[in-house]
Amino acid sequence: MVRRSGMHWLREDGALCRPGEVVAYCDLSVEPARFPGLAAQPFAGERTLQVALAPRVAGRLRIDPSSSAGGLLDTLGVYGWSAGDVIATLEASPADLAEAGLEAETFRLLMLAGRRMTWIVDVAAGLLPGWNSRARAWWADGDEPGPTLLCLGVCDASGIIRGDLSGFVEMFEATPFPAQMAHVNEHPLVPCAPYLLEQFLRTPAQYEAIAADITRALGQGAAVPAADDLVFAAALLTHLGQSPLRDSYEALTPTGLCRRGPAEAVLLSLAAESRSLLRHKTLGYSLLIYSHDRLAAGAAMRRWLESAFEPVRRSLRDIRDDYARLFDTIGAATGTRFLVLNEMSSSGREDISSYAPFDAPLGDVLANVAAKDANLMLHDLAETRDFHIVDVDAAAAELGGGAHVPDGIHQSAMLQARLRGDILDILARL
Amino acid sequence: MLLDLKMPLVMPDMPGARIEAIYATVGQAVAIGGKLCDISVDLAGAFAQNCPPISYYRLVSRERAWLRRAMVVGGDLLAPAGILAWFSTEADEPLEGPAARPMRVTTAGILWHPAMWSATSSA
Repeated sequence: MVRRSGMHWLREDGALCRPGEVVAYCDLSVEPARFPGLAAQPFAGERTLQVALAPRVAGRLRIDPSSSAGGLLDTLGVYGWSAGDVIATLEASPADLAEAGLEAETFRLLMLAGRRMTWIVDVAAGLLPGWNSRARAWWADGDEPGPTLLCLGVCDASGIIRGDLSGFVEMFEATPFPAQMAHVNEHPLVPCAPYLLEQFLRTPAQYEAIAADITRALGQGAAVPAADDLVFAAALLTHLGQSPLRDSYEALTPTGLCRRGPAEAVLLSLAAESRSLLRHKTLGYSLLIYSHDRLAAGAAMRRWLESAFEPVRRSLRDIRDDYARLFDTIGAATGTRFLVLNEMSSSGREDISSYAPFDAPLGDVLANVAAKDANLMLHDLAETRDFHIVDVDAAAAELGGGAHVPDGIHQSAMLQARLRGDILDILARL
Repeated sequence: MLLDLKMPLVMPDMPGARIEAIYATVGQAVAIGGKLCDISVDLAGAFAQNCPPISYYRLVSRERAWLRRAMVVGGDLLAPAGILAWFSTEADEPLEGPAARPMRVTTAGILWHPAMWSATSSA
């Protein structure tokens, strides 16, 4: 049994809509069909479930006023789902409808599911609201979603995959084949290769030792841990106790529930491979936490990070070897293929006329030389490992770095769209 | 001849920059290619974001000069065109009157490093 809320309209009545453009969404709840409360609950752990709707052909949207009652009735699943419900009509050209093989417009469905960090973060508005440790979307047009692309990158990757509304809608509109996109939150732990591999290989006993250590750290200080400490510790434990590379995915389609195995493809960011990591002095596991996230922790957690971990430098060779181990191990276990976003390696912001003032090796000092070295490392690795490089460097240089990636990593919508296309081309060939 | 070193406008929309490290010493000469200071540019300004658009730059001297007066310390925030320091082309000329021209410098994008002010600050 599927229940739904009233409709949230993203486009107004009378709007001209593109084919594939998400125009509305509603919240869903799914219950076992005949024995509610007795059979296993579908989407265990994914308590945010929504469906977004997009026309198949271009046309003018005419919204049925009864589709939305407003207020909490547009959030709570108070209506039974019926595929025949008319929530709007689309004034489309008969030629477009005929070309699409349609007698009348029916919406394409984009399913959205979020695994919350905690249910008590009370955010009800928007696509995939709240603080999700993992969010995903699949195109529910056919019997089963197509290949899954799991984004385990930082903001240069997550922006491309999640898009402006954070609801995967640009990716949905751009993808000409059924697919599923998943994104794992990169805060507070940056998904670098050693961390992802350790996550994949971690045993329950190792996780228990980590959890016990964090719990001890919270109780060791002179002061009572602050709320920021507890929230930070909870986020750490959530990430350290999971391995998204092992995840399987339940999907709701027009013909029922199905389950897909681990992701066919994983998108990583070279920008996540910092030259320095934290390594736990006794338990030996690795963490990478950006300074802005570290500052979000309370004093107790910051003290623990300073005392329980030591910084470990990584050379480019170390990073290459970490990638190789990750690709080999995960590829052998699940068959997953990897895509890696390289780095923007030039900038109009500097005016270096001579490299003589800078200490060698230049890649240890100068950001753009470091990025070029890292990009070359990826190409070296590609000679012995089968993975795909998404060439951010070339795309950004072509469109213009100053306008489209002003700080070297955060991209404009135009650059994101270009890279989205590159990623989809690779995904289609896998 | 007096020279001023002003905060460069590294990017058109930058609200300012933070002093991350100072290498030059008051009273000492800076050679051609000498490191002057490191700065960080946060395009989001003071508005905290969970992935701030920060980049780091080093100012390097393109001429020999003496640092006469530093107007900033590590951690200071300075708007574009704000005065960072005064230099002179002779060691002991009086610090009087306006600068004859700006100090000639190179601006280079650099990697964050642990000697920066932001490495030790809790701000």
